Amino acid sequence: MLPREPDRWHLLRRVRSVTWLLAGSALALSVIGLVVISSASADMNTDYEVRQSAWIVLGLLVMTAAAAVDYTFLLRYAFWIYLAAVAVLAAVTFFGHEAGGARSWIGIGGFGGQPSDFCKIATVLLLARHMAEAQAPVAPRDWLWAASAFVVAPVLLIALQPDMGGALMFVPMLAAMAIVAGLRLRSALIALGVAAMVAGAIWVFALQDYQKDRVSSFFRPGADPLGSGYQVRQSRIAIGSGQMLGKGYGEGTQSNLQFLPTPHTDFVFAVLGEEYGFMGVTVVLGLLLLYLGNGVRAALAARDPAGMLLVVGLLAFIAGHVLYNTAMVVGLLPITGIPLPFLSYGGSFMLFCCAATGLMIRVDVQRFVNI
Amino acid sequence: MSLRNPTGEYSVDWVLLNMAVRLRWLCGVLGVALAVVIGAYWYHQIIRAEHYERLAENNRLRVLRLDAPRGLIYDRSGRILVENTPTFRLMIDRGESADLGASLAFAAGILGREERELRAALERHRGVAREVPVLLAEDLELTQVARFEVSEPEHPEFEISTSRRRLYRHSFQTAHVVGYLGEPTPAEHDRDDSLAAGDLVGRSGVELLRDRRLRGNHGERIVVVDSRGRLMGEDVQRADAEPGESVTLTIDLRLQQLAESLLADKAGAIVALDPRDGAVRAMVSSPSFDPNRFAGRLSQEDWDRIVDAPGKPLQNRAIQNTYPPGSVFKIVMAVAGLAEGLLDPEERVYCNGATRLYDRRWRCWQRRGHGFVDLRGALQHSCDVYFYRQGVKIGIEVIAAYARRLGLGGRTGVELPGESEGLVPDSEWSRDRRGYPWYPGETVSVAIGQGPLLTSPLQVAVMTAAVANGGFRVRPYLVAGGGEPPEPLGLDAEVIAFVAEALANVVANGTGRGARTPVVAVAGKTGTAQVVAQETWIRSEDLPPDQADHAWFTSYAPVDAPELVVVVFVENGGRGSEAAAPLARELLEDHFGAAAGT
Repeated sequence: MLPREPDRWHLLRRVRSVTWLLAGSALALSVIGLVVISSASADMNTDYEVRQSAWIVLGLLVMTAAAAVDYTFLLRYAFWIYLAAVAVLAAVTFFGHEAGGARSWIGIGGFGGQPSDFCKIATVLLLARHMAEAQAPVAPRDWLWAASAFVVAPVLLIALQPDMGGALMFVPMLAAMAIVAGLRLRSALIALGVAAMVAGAIWVFALQDYQKDRVSSFFRPGADPLGSGYQVRQSRIAIGSGQMLGKGYGEGTQSNLQFLPTPHTDFVFAVLGEEYGFMGVTVVLGLLLLYLGNGVRAALAARDPAGMLLVVGLLAFIAGHVLYNTAMVVGLLPITGIPLPFLSYGGSFMLFCCAATGLMIRVDVQRFVNI
Repeated sequence: MSLRNPTGEYSVDWVLLNMAVRLRWLCGVLGVALAVVIGAYWYHQIIRAEHYERLAENNRLRVLRLDAPRGLIYDRSGRILVENTPTFRLMIDRGESADLGASLAFAAGILGREERELRAALERHRGVAREVPVLLAEDLELTQVARFEVSEPEHPEFEISTSRRRLYRHSFQTAHVVGYLGEPTPAEHDRDDSLAAGDLVGRSGVELLRDRRLRGNHGERIVVVDSRGRLMGEDVQRADAEPGESVTLTIDLRLQQLAESLLADKAGAIVALDPRDGAVRAMVSSPSFDPNRFAGRLSQEDWDRIVDAPGKPLQNRAIQNTYPPGSVFKIVMAVAGLAEGLLDPEERVYCNGATRLYDRRWRCWQRRGHGFVDLRGALQHSCDVYFYRQGVKIGIEVIAAYARRLGLGGRTGVELPGESEGLVPDSEWSRDRRGYPWYPGETVSVAIGQGPLLTSPLQVAVMTAAVANGGFRVRPYLVAGGGEPPEPLGLDAEVIAFVAEALANVVANGTGRGARTPVVAVAGKTGTAQVVAQETWIRSEDLPPDQADHAWFTSYAPVDAPELVVVVFVENGGRGSEAAAPLARELLEDHFGAAAGT
């Protein structure tokens, strides 16, 4: 009982503040990110701010394109999209070229891109459809296991690259979608048990030494101040020394004198904290909250379970990145490669965030037509 | 977490309603998580802001020291005695070394040292941050520097840094005057803010005396560095170093060098000073040491070896050691007796080689005796019997008072640290210090410069200067411009003139003939001091070396307008007339001969 082709003029009349607030906050965050990246990469050989500008423009196009496509159409072909995404991911994992110790980049016309980001959307689409179908009275009761299985394939591939941070971010997504889809307590407990066993197995068999170091150094920050604990320490110094108002554009000594690791990507928020202080941190977190809140509004407006779950999955991905990244740079969580949505430099992740935004807008706009 | 469905029928709206409730609940969780994150930022950026600001500044700023070159030391005519010379030091950046063991082995090969020594040197810098280069070895030779430079591609961990090292041009010859350097103790570091790690401070001589001014003030550069310690941009702050002040001494290098060579294989001291103002022209103590040994870092064994060397070379015998003056003390006797009117210069005493006083037989050095001698003759031939008898007449109180007035038994006031007082005994001293009354027979010993009497060569020079300059007490000084006008002693000019004339006679016809020279007219007095009291008369040459007599000769020249006092003291040297007077002659001949030649 999928609807007929919707009337586009009809849809445009349904555009409301959610659309503008989602797109507006995303754009504002991207511009702020651009400013911080340009300060943080001032002494680097690559013009990251120019590249990031290009990614923002491309991201706006992708956002518009995603908003222009009927998401129910995407849901209908979710399995094939998922299959294609996983196939590409597998190809890259086993044949891609190495960058920074991890095999994950594919070249697209001179720009690097991570197929894992595309895979995130594909997985959310498939899960949304699968969990929504489970809401029907005739649904199979054990939807969680199939859903988990859909997640395991991309997670394993991403973990093999190895990109632990990227793999880890599937966990809040699956959890949020499962909870909203009506996870029962017993299934949740079993799932947690299995997850714990898998985590143990990963620690023993899959984690590289440097990754173990990061985790253990998180619990013992004083030990080995020049090793893994160094990054957390320097990041905290950057943030703390920013104080209330920050040191100003280009004045961050921690970032510009290379005390901070990767200041333009994973640690962009530490640069922000150093140069714009608690004020800058509050403004950016406020904008992120505005974005997430309007995402939730879009989810609540959905008139079909699949649409709502789709928005929830995408939002959970973005919220997971936001929480983990901001907590990690201030030392609340172990350091791992998780970028900050819209602010960190990075092409394919920017495109993922924009595509997700476009899909959320589409779900919001299409809120009356699916019944 | 589902709402109860009142009808139990399936409806999409009902499903959506349940999902919305669970979504709102998740939003609450998200809100709490965000609040925790915001709280963490608030804690670090507001509450602990100052702590992190300090850490950021520590990261960013580095203080580099600008060394102040230590001041130079010149002799009176501007000849350099002490200067600084560039030296190369080997630093190692442990962060750059792939294999520290291999690096040390490589360095040990070039330096020709044991690898374990270098490891010990490295061990001292254990607490220093890894990326800060630390000192591995000092005083590299140019060929060694070249080899480290050439191997830079394979061994980037080594750096050569240039520094300055103290160079004592005339090492042994000026050692006791200029002194030497040493590492400051932790207590000194605490007391003096101007001292930084690696500084050396003056430990003796002029180096100690003028240490603070010679050192100057270190400058400081505060620079911005990146995480790898590379310099970025301009200095945040810069205070240039103030070089240390140079010092010009009153020392005459030529005289000093000659004096040192004269004492080369002996123990003893030579002091030369200008009797008109007390300027010290030469001060030599033998055996000497090489202060250059102290200019670098010295190991404990090396230090012990120098301190415990035979003859105790670090002691300055000219001012730190005191000896019985022997017959040079007869100058004091003559001045005291004449000034107090207790001595009639014309009175003659018969010397038959010994005399009996206080139930004891007192010998003259001349066993044959001198026959009848008056004061002039007694000084000329250094007749002991004459002074034994006159000493009893003058009395210990008067002798002691004049001895002190002329500069014995007290510090001369020369700037050098560690000067000894010596001892001029009297009955009060005997009572207070020894705890028993002065025994009159002791006065007899004191009269010929023996007994408890102890003087330093410099004190004898001051005493002699008073005769040479017509009765003025000089304060010897070493730093040019540091002199004081001599103090009149209130002595009758005739008294001084009489003694001066007698001293001229000593050199012309008496025991001081060894100092006679055609170059200049010399006045002087010999002294032969017994080291141990002897009951029987033994020739000095027959005594074991460490009990042989000390030889003294004090002199000045020219007789009619004295310009230079020369005191020669040879420890266990034997007779003053034979062991000391000829050395004084050589010095005076050279000094006045050179002056006449130019």
